[in-house]
Amino acid sequence: MLSRGRVFTSPAQLAGYASDALGYKSYPPDAVVIPADAAELVEFMRGARDLGLPVMLRGAGTSLSGGPVAAQGGVIVHTSSLRHIREINRDGFWCEVESGVALNDLDAALKPLGMFYPPDPSSGPVCTLGGNVASNAGGAHCFRYGVTSHYVLGVEVVLLDGTVHRFGGPAGGRGRWREDWRRFMVGSEGTLGAFTRFWLRLLPLPEKVWTLRATYPDLRSIEAAIHALVAHPSFPAAIEMLDPRGVAMVEGSRMAAGLPRGSFMLLTEIDGPAALVDARVAAVSDILRRAGSDDVAFSDEEETRRRLWKARKAAGGLLGQLSPDFVVQDAVIPKGALAEILQLVYDEADAAGILAVNIFHAGDGNLHPNFVFNSRVPGELEKVERIGERLMRRVIAVGGTLSGEHGIGNDKAAYMPLVYGPDSMRLQWAVPAAFNPRHQLNPLKVFGERRFTG
Amino acid sequence: MKAIAPLTEERFFTVFLDAVDGTVCVPANTTGAALQARVAPHGLRFPLLLDPATSLSAHVAATTHAPASCRFGQYCDNILGMNWRLPGGRVVRIGERVAKTTTGYDWLRFLLHAGGRLGEPVDYVLRLRPACGFSLLAWFEGEAAALRGCVSRLLHGGWMHWWDAVDFVAEGDRRRVRVAVDCPPGEAPLFTEELQRVAAAAGARLTLQPATGGTLDGIPDLVLKTTPDRVIALAEALAQPAARCVGLGYSGVVHVYLREGGDRPDRIRAMVESHEQALYALGGDWHSRWLPAPAPASAEAAWLVTLEQALRTP
Repeated sequence: MLSRGRVFTSPAQLAGYASDALGYKSYPPDAVVIPADAAELVEFMRGARDLGLPVMLRGAGTSLSGGPVAAQGGVIVHTSSLRHIREINRDGFWCEVESGVALNDLDAALKPLGMFYPPDPSSGPVCTLGGNVASNAGGAHCFRYGVTSHYVLGVEVVLLDGTVHRFGGPAGGRGRWREDWRRFMVGSEGTLGAFTRFWLRLLPLPEKVWTLRATYPDLRSIEAAIHALVAHPSFPAAIEMLDPRGVAMVEGSRMAAGLPRGSFMLLTEIDGPAALVDARVAAVSDILRRAGSDDVAFSDEEETRRRLWKARKAAGGLLGQLSPDFVVQDAVIPKGALAEILQLVYDEADAAGILAVNIFHAGDGNLHPNFVFNSRVPGELEKVERIGERLMRRVIAVGGTLSGEHGIGNDKAAYMPLVYGPDSMRLQWAVPAAFNPRHQLNPLKVFGERRFTG
Repeated sequence: MKAIAPLTEERFFTVFLDAVDGTVCVPANTTGAALQARVAPHGLRFPLLLDPATSLSAHVAATTHAPASCRFGQYCDNILGMNWRLPGGRVVRIGERVAKTTTGYDWLRFLLHAGGRLGEPVDYVLRLRPACGFSLLAWFEGEAAALRGCVSRLLHGGWMHWWDAVDFVAEGDRRRVRVAVDCPPGEAPLFTEELQRVAAAAGARLTLQPATGGTLDGIPDLVLKTTPDRVIALAEALAQPAARCVGLGYSGVVHVYLREGGDRPDRIRAMVESHEQALYALGGDWHSRWLPAPAPASAEAAWLVTLEQALRTP
């Protein structure tokens, strides 16, 4: 079924697969397999079905939701061999890639052609497109450019019975299918099938970029800046926020970018033809000042911009400096409620003695409160879970949702009853019932009751 | 963690306008004109309109894209949520009122263009965009090579992100490229200069005019989805004295408009038969509001049975 040397079972080999980037929960798999190609993956899927093994697909394991982990035991399928960029069609604005291609490898291949693929999660150097599609990944520049589902033209998927189906393709339509099954595949978190390749939509690279940063003394003033920016016809590509704790963490690290400490920091970016963005940069900086910042800086210089973004994107990885464990939430809220919900995060965390650090995609209202704790201290995880539940209840009450780009995994599955009523819950369950009725693929994810029953 | 009790009642969207978030919830039978009248006082617009007198649900039932999809994406990227009436009559909330979500399986995009087979929309939550204050329509005319050159320059350069639409319009023997612009008034000279540069480089004639009603082409009779590089050839092939074709350059979509007549479905069927295999080979498709949807492929029949069971449960 699998080539020699592609099955791993020793504890040392399995240790690296016991958790994803969330880290604080560990689920050692029974085995890990690395199929040499799509044909081996098909054979493996058939065999796993017959043997009754839970199967979890995994790219680089950078998920922040407890997604690609063996929560019910079983076999992790690592897609690292499926890493070929098969075609880039510049005239047609599409590319065909295998599911194990790293996001930044695709970007490196596209850049000389003057093209790019917009979704840009912070894990870009290592995360795979398979994981991106499975979790409908986003990133900092999704405010203007949109998330993964906006760019997936087609998906090739292996179902548990070993059948291979293409939903869509370079043209991004339904193909011969009557219904648009691709839509269920994107964001399905490994619960419906195994992705082998994708057709992705591309855009021409912007000619020039200005990156601006501004500091604010309080939540209300930075919220005003965010509200003004999202309505401005310069259409910023990204609007990001770091709170004072996040700034201090970055500035205390090797990723220090010279950011002023003690303030809320807003990072935004405008891109486009040089003539256009050069004409816009003064107006955007005026917006930032009028909202209450007396410290606005902007640059079109590559090295300065790179340092700012490196600091922003490395921030999540620096949380380990503060404590052994963290939980990051991924709620999205209407932006009118930004200051209110952020204050709730601080109030709840401070009352529980838990450190909360906010670094997030403010333009989309996509919060990432990081709750930093030590799982070996009795009661700390429970405190974080209680904060999480109260936060999610308020998020839903203001019209928000549980996850914007990380997926539900097993980390947020407990909150799903807050979202769906009886009818909509029935619809949700019908999707895995159609493709994976025994929940053999990635059990206990998305909905905690999705248990493989053998 | 203690289990959270499931909701005992459905949540629904209520009609609202959130000017800060740039979202609005309106009944699905709202016309394009009524929608714009509702959001324009807030400096906002919904750019994906084809006919101001036609309901939003009729837009979505007819096509997946509009000319402004070049800049803002297709309908399913701009309709964030909806109240949806199931075939059995019950109404459920699908999707969200925020721009990003990966909560649960994506029923929104699956149902949106399902052609009434799996229920119908009651209300839509729409993502709005800032109305920039100045609109312009540019028309390029010239030899076929010049028009192809225009489209290539317009789409492959850094300005591509800022054109509302880049369309190839074929009507009878006439061929033109249409560009729609929506920008702040102060930036209008920059856009105009770029359009003039494109025309000069491609050897095309350029006419600029106010954009009033410029891309409101009407609801198409036939929609074909291919890759962007095949749009011009497909629109050329479909254009005939009785057909007007609008090729949405970056979206890879051709909208076909036919003269009325009892034989319209037959003419559409003939067009489809000439092109469907080539479209399918690329993962493309076709759709016409005048023809029934094709039968399900054999593999999807079983999946549909499961979904329809859930959809039809009283």
